[in-house]
Amino acid sequence: MIQFEQVSKRYEGGHEALSQLSFEVPTGEMAFVTGHSGAGKSTLLKLLGLIERPSHGVITLDGQNLARVRRGGIPKLRRRIGMVFQDHRLLMERTVFANVELPLMIGGVARAERARRVRAALEKVGLLAYERQLPATLSTGEQQRVGIARAIVARPTLLIADEPTGNLDPQLAVEIMGLFAEFQQVGATVLIASHDLPLIKRMRKRVIVLDHGRLVADLAAQEVL
Amino acid sequence: MNASPESPSGHNGPSAQAPRPQRFASWQEHHGWSAAASLRRLATRPLGSLLTIAVMGLALALPLAFYLLLGNVQKLGDAMGQSQAISVFMQTGQSGQATQLLATQLGNRPEVASVAVKSPQQGMEELAKMQGFSGALELLDDNPLPYVVQLQPRTDVSAAAVETLVADVRAMRGVELVQDSDSWRKRLEALLGVGNRVVLMLALMLAAAALLVVGNTVRVDIASRSEEIGVLLLVGASDAFVRRPYLYAGIWYGLFSGIFAAALAVVIELGLAAPVAQLSQTYDGKLQVAGLPTWLLLAVPLAAAALGWLGARLVSAWQLRKAA
Repeated sequence: MIQFEQVSKRYEGGHEALSQLSFEVPTGEMAFVTGHSGAGKSTLLKLLGLIERPSHGVITLDGQNLARVRRGGIPKLRRRIGMVFQDHRLLMERTVFANVELPLMIGGVARAERARRVRAALEKVGLLAYERQLPATLSTGEQQRVGIARAIVARPTLLIADEPTGNLDPQLAVEIMGLFAEFQQVGATVLIASHDLPLIKRMRKRVIVLDHGRLVADLAAQEVL
Repeated sequence: MNASPESPSGHNGPSAQAPRPQRFASWQEHHGWSAAASLRRLATRPLGSLLTIAVMGLALALPLAFYLLLGNVQKLGDAMGQSQAISVFMQTGQSGQATQLLATQLGNRPEVASVAVKSPQQGMEELAKMQGFSGALELLDDNPLPYVVQLQPRTDVSAAAVETLVADVRAMRGVELVQDSDSWRKRLEALLGVGNRVVLMLALMLAAAALLVVGNTVRVDIASRSEEIGVLLLVGASDAFVRRPYLYAGIWYGLFSGIFAAALAVVIELGLAAPVAQLSQTYDGKLQVAGLPTWLLLAVPLAAAALGWLGARLVSAWQLRKAA
């Protein structure tokens, strides 16, 4: 599903966020990317969504070389990826329902089908009762779950999340990770950047460890203790 | 837990992509939504929106006002032209019959509105009515006055055509002298030509100004919503999807300012009616205020809407390229 070959990313100003990173995530796998802040976790996810482009190396997604995706092709690529952000990135003046509906609107799904899918996604994250509310009236954890509902509503084959539990209390964090694991169980590939080691250990999934942009460890699920 | 609807398995290809007829219906729906949402956003900032519409409307009303003025000057010129007949003096000794024949010939020409023949006798009577002449005329043995044909060119005929007419009449047999006072007419026509050109250039410049006003307003609009646009782009929205509400905002600004400009022009027209009516009395009521044609009043809002769309389109293309 995901393949990084000798990928480096140097930002303007010379800071090298990733250097010669190579790894693979097969379809249907769930993996964590961890490391100290500044290790390159966020950069890695940004490269997948073409929010950033690599300076060197080749990234392949579902057999497609991302370097070949031109600016006009980016929207189509992003519709295949569900993205969850630490700061939710919700539209604050639109209802919970409208926020979750957004990827389906963009994908051109008919109204009735949209409503059905949005409710299913909201039910999955336990927020069906909040569909008419504005995100601001929800707690941080609830907002994060709205973000997850939005990420999964269009049934992406890849789900990537950048510190999805960063602002949450441990109880909520566990619940949210559970949602991602469930999503993996129905066939999606899931890649989560997180620095919450205790939580990662608890999940018992593959862990990719970065340090200063380099791969320092790649632990299979059964190696995580 | 209801897992199946979100299941990514069992789908071929990108699952967010709906079938074509569905996509078309949804595309239409998004157009409707964008039109309504942009209108709502205009309403949430009433002062700013009104200012933009007013500035744009005034910019568009100005050329309309000049156009109106020009039309009325033209009409005034025409009305004055009606009182300026061309006098054709026949050679002495030309008979009334020959004069009548010439008058009929001239009356058949398309650029001539009317002809009148004045006999020497009538000429003498007119002179006799003037003070101080009656005594002198009595001293004359016979009438020295020639036959005179008075020509009235049609008002919708150009100065060049009148000139040709005069030249033709001059060359006719039996004609002694043609007195036409159409040099003022030529001057007015030339002046109106300049005025028309000025209005055209003014209209283009002010249309460009209106374009900039819309463009800037939409630019500020987009800048204030950069966060929202960022989110839309992240979840896979195309540029067309993102800019749609802003294009509609441009159309609304244009449409409303066009309506405002047309209304303003009508007000100016009504304001002109009273003084023109006064002026009209001095021309035997022949003068009526030249109004703006209905098609123009309808075309202005539509053209302004197109202008608004264009301004929004240019700015959004530039701004989205920056955002992505």
